[in-house]
Amino acid sequence: MDDKTYLSIAYLGMIFAIAIWTWTIVSRSRTLEQRIIAMEESLNVDSIPIDSIAEVNDTGEE
Amino acid sequence: MRVKVGELLLAIGFIGLMATLYLAFNWAPSVNINAFESPEAQRIFYWHVPAAWAAFIAFAVLFAGSALWMFKRSPLGWKLHVAGSEAGLACGLMAVWSGCVWGAAEWGTPWDWEDWRLNTFGLLTLLALFLVLGRQSQPDGVESRDTFSTFGLYGFVLVPLTYVATRIWVIRHPGPVIAGEEGSSISGDMALVLMIGALSFTILIVGHIITSMEITKFEQRLERLQKRLDGE
Repeated sequence: MDDKTYLSIAYLGMIFAIAIWTWTIVSRSRTLEQRIIAMEESLNVDSIPIDSIAEVNDTGEE
Repeated sequence: MRVKVGELLLAIGFIGLMATLYLAFNWAPSVNINAFESPEAQRIFYWHVPAAWAAFIAFAVLFAGSALWMFKRSPLGWKLHVAGSEAGLACGLMAVWSGCVWGAAEWGTPWDWEDWRLNTFGLLTLLALFLVLGRQSQPDGVESRDTFSTFGLYGFVLVPLTYVATRIWVIRHPGPVIAGEEGSSISGDMALVLMIGALSFTILIVGHIITSMEITKFEQRLERLQKRLDGE
């Protein structure tokens, strides 16, 4: 395999991998957001994000 | 439709990477054919170096996030830790993979176990892999966050070690071409493509970190909703 072919395959593989990675996190973010909004609306709760682990730790609770 | 900053940066970074790829193939000058075993494979340098640069940014974010969580118990610190480890893994794998491709073409072997720089960077990527996989396999809690943050803090030692290794223990891997020794500079056109690559990777990694922090925030909201449903 000549240098250019070798390099093209390597580059295409990396571009493909990075495209999949980028798309995965964007779609994960959108899906989660849509599901949460739907759940919050149906449960009638506000949407203030709380890190319960940090909160529990701050108050010294187990 | 509302466009998010993180997604916009991801898109810009990705377009920049495509431009880097095009310029690396069609515009950047060839290297001296006597200086390399595989001169064309040298073009992978325009991807390899920016990927490593972005990985170091991600590892710095991981370190800052780990420290914020360990010493301040900051929710923002934990989000930075998660985003830094995921982004560090992605960019670290890009740098390692492109380095293996280049090494196979140039040296005849994809990895040199005697080269400090390769091994310290490989360890950093493995650390990020451990943090990402470990977090997915463990229930979220103070103890698990403390454990992963400790690894994030101590693992960062490998970053200055890798930096120093590029200057002191140069074996097979070439030394730095920017801010390196005398006579190690590159031509203007090559430097321009390299800079476009570095800028694109930086924008992409910042976009990833912002998006990943949002995902962590959503997961925390989801957990809160779950608790409400469970009646806690």
